[in-house]
Amino acid sequence: MAGRNACIVGGGMCKWGVREASYVDMVQEAAKECLDDIPGVKPKHIDGLLFASAFVGRRSVQINTAPVVAERLGLKPTSICARVDVLCASGSTAILLARGLVESGMSDVVMVVGSEKIYTPERWQVQYDEIAAIDHDWDSPQGIGPPPIWFALTAKEHMKHYGTKKEQFGTVSIINYDYGFTNPKGHFQRQLTIDDVLNAAEIAAPLGLYDCCPLTDGSAAVIIASEEKARELSDRPPVYILGGAQVSLHSVTANWPGEHLGDWPHLRLAAEKAYQRTGIGPEDVDVAQVHDCFSISELIELEELGFCKKGEGGPFVESGQTKIGGSIPANTDGGLMSCGHPFGATGIRQAIEIMRQLQGRATNQVKDAAVGLTHNLSGANAEHTIVIYSREPRK
Amino acid sequence: MAVSGIPFLEGRYSPTLDLWPIEAKEFNRIHTFYDSLREGRFTTTRCKQCGRVLYPPRVICPECYSDELEWIELPKRGKVIAVVEKLGGVPICFEVPVIDAWIDLGEGSPLRHILSRVINCPPQSLKEGDEVQLVVFDVPSHPMEIRRETIIAERVFFAFEPVKK
Repeated sequence: MAGRNACIVGGGMCKWGVREASYVDMVQEAAKECLDDIPGVKPKHIDGLLFASAFVGRRSVQINTAPVVAERLGLKPTSICARVDVLCASGSTAILLARGLVESGMSDVVMVVGSEKIYTPERWQVQYDEIAAIDHDWDSPQGIGPPPIWFALTAKEHMKHYGTKKEQFGTVSIINYDYGFTNPKGHFQRQLTIDDVLNAAEIAAPLGLYDCCPLTDGSAAVIIASEEKARELSDRPPVYILGGAQVSLHSVTANWPGEHLGDWPHLRLAAEKAYQRTGIGPEDVDVAQVHDCFSISELIELEELGFCKKGEGGPFVESGQTKIGGSIPANTDGGLMSCGHPFGATGIRQAIEIMRQLQGRATNQVKDAAVGLTHNLSGANAEHTIVIYSREPRK
Repeated sequence: MAVSGIPFLEGRYSPTLDLWPIEAKEFNRIHTFYDSLREGRFTTTRCKQCGRVLYPPRVICPECYSDELEWIELPKRGKVIAVVEKLGGVPICFEVPVIDAWIDLGEGSPLRHILSRVINCPPQSLKEGDEVQLVVFDVPSHPMEIRRETIIAERVFFAFEPVKK
């Protein structure tokens, strides 16, 4: 395909966790980290802004957010200035859109920044914001705005159909916390033992506290630019955004598209489309960031993305395949489990980690990583979003 | 004079923190679903043109985009495929545990599965394979402005409950 290539030039995030800062304070911190990462880029070079946030309209009582963010960041966008909301995939979606804007020639240099302020002013309200995050009229009244119930049902079904064990869910959390231990920007810097995981407070059996990612305040920002601009603005090797896919087959849980809850055909379809469009196969991916909102979700994602056989996610993770040196190191910065999950910022954090891996400057570096993948699910597992990155442009 | 700036403090209703749907016919074109629920019937729409059954009910058919739809009955009994009891992090107003089941409405049903809360059910008692049935209950009404007049809109919703053995 002729035309322009879009690259991720640099990125940064603020400290994630329970923050004494507003969403727009954190946006400024993340944007500063991002521009400090690429000394050649100043606000005047940026012609587009995409702001990714799901809850800002409810938690921070601000809709039409992009102009607010642009003003605070000293940006004067002339190509695009908009907010993107696809819940947990807001950040990845904004990156895919920025790629399209850059490749089309509409934009040259776009900042994609995500932010969520969850812990304010009273914690109970988060649960009442989550009733707006899934199909409000049909699923929320059944008590599943907060997602553990849905993923506990999913875990039970996976255990029933494939013999997956609770200890294998726990392995996901242990590995991701181990990675996150060396990430000072994440929510947690601690390590877990299998006893910690198995003896943790029960949230919704079979899921305990450490099978669930935390609620987190945070922001992350990246710069997406044309290859030409990327080379002009930075000396680092370009990381190309090859492409991706976003698939949505249903919204209300009753219309679940799989044979059972452990069967995710919408993710298989997203993977098929993303691989087809980029000429990359699962065997080519050196490092992945998969949506570990729950331990069970990472297990199933590894299967449906083609990194292991269907049903074998449990033994696959147990045998260390997602660790450095394994066949697909995953969530190498700590993932959602250890970094936390400020919805709109998560896909951007994932992109930053893949960029660092592909530029050879990650903390938990995968040797010679050349191709990376990010994945998010959104809602009550109703939508899947994949982005594929490479050191080489599309052939 | 001080402005409170917080309508809750003035006793005003705000739907942004309302768990339940706005069901009134003045707001919602599928209010028939709730009217039927009030009579103990579990219904949805079917396309008269192509026969496709749609859940949740709609005003157009997503298959052929016809707007000629009719109401049909859904089964009110099903079997539990998997059940979960949530002990922590439940929305305020819910009692712990919140029990939810993924329910099989049966091979002949136009809607095969549904996720529902299971109420009238002692904790740790519901098992895979158990039979459950539809149960309808009142939920809080809300004020609603219709051409400068405020009415009180009554509401119902549904869950499932164990079928007594």
